[in-house]
Amino acid sequence: MAHLIQVGAGSGGMPVLDMLCRDARLTRVTLIEPDIYKPHNVERHLFPLSGVGEAKAELARRWLLERRPNLQVDLLPCDLRDPEQQSAIEQAAAAADIGICAADNETAKYHWDALMRRHGKPWTLGEVLSGGIGGFVHWFVPGGPCYGCVASFLKRSVTVDKAPTPDYSQPGGPVQETTIPASKASIQAIASLHALVTLGLMEDPARYAPGFSSLLLTLQRVPDVFEDAFRPYRFRVPRAADCLICQARPTPSSAEELDVALDQAFARLGDA
Amino acid sequence: MSLLDSEAGKRRLLSVEIPVIERYNEGREPAFQIRLSRLGGTLVLRYCLKPCHNIYQLETRLVSSYPTVPPETRVLTALKHCPHLLEGQTLCLWRQGSTRASSRWDPARYTCIFAVQAAWRWLACYEVWHETGEWPLPEAK
Repeated sequence: MAHLIQVGAGSGGMPVLDMLCRDARLTRVTLIEPDIYKPHNVERHLFPLSGVGEAKAELARRWLLERRPNLQVDLLPCDLRDPEQQSAIEQAAAAADIGICAADNETAKYHWDALMRRHGKPWTLGEVLSGGIGGFVHWFVPGGPCYGCVASFLKRSVTVDKAPTPDYSQPGGPVQETTIPASKASIQAIASLHALVTLGLMEDPARYAPGFSSLLLTLQRVPDVFEDAFRPYRFRVPRAADCLICQARPTPSSAEELDVALDQAFARLGDA
Repeated sequence: MSLLDSEAGKRRLLSVEIPVIERYNEGREPAFQIRLSRLGGTLVLRYCLKPCHNIYQLETRLVSSYPTVPPETRVLTALKHCPHLLEGQTLCLWRQGSTRASSRWDPARYTCIFAVQAAWRWLACYEVWHETGEWPLPEAK
């Protein structure tokens, strides 16, 4: 009896959800996905061409119920960071047993990480590298390294060369990470690993110990990046003692005191 | 998290950013201290830097998605058109996947003061470029 909360039902997230929903232990799914299924999605997606124009969340619900009619599927067809939906998202996270992040931008990943840490939930993340040359699967548990610790440790050292400069004229917009589309086969390979890690973590989050916290599997040989194809790299990323994302620092406990302290700081530092 | 609106954002400001700004300002001449203002969901840092012989006025904006999204710094003092300068005199400081570690913004390790230091390095390069026509730091890939 497990309740899974997932953000993203794109080409990477949907195969993971499809594989997990076959497991009888999973009885409830909450899916956060705001997008509409577009013609260019068809090539890499599980959904059929006839679904173009419909909400991905609704298509996902149909897909899951066709395979598991007794599965409870709740949809939040909104952006993860939508201020008006935060209360519903927080409630869903609090009720879930495990989370999956299948979002493709850094802001969403950090937001998800904070959400999962707030509610003390284990979660997993899959990342397919540009061009489908390989991919990462990470898993997180309360008290362990956060996404900030992991991203900082890995330092994006395997990002494909000559990626375009992010568009800082729209600093609030998504950071483009994957510019060369990965093939469905590469996405599926990483999604399968992601599903396996999630199933293992779901079994017993407190005792899950696959020997890595982040797994990188290369899928292609790329000169100066990956020497071999199909080579696994296992990273044991520690929680960083000086991580600015997850290491708690003393701040006022109540929201009111927090606002007062902030106002005082702004007064000292020149806020009009 | 939203920097100025969410509890997590406010805690980040109070526990990380404000203390480092106050440390930066400590003992510094008032004209070179960082002053803060709020602009909607954005926190604006205004300050002056003097990397060599000239004083520049700058503004670093921490947008609502900061620290996930890197700070955006622009020079308010008029500059000559030069390399690594974006529209609105915004400095090109960060590039995800850059071969230079200091050009990869890392929200888990860097604070807004790192952006101020990065701006100082950029302006030092600008001064050399202004005199010689050559940008002193090699291109990062």
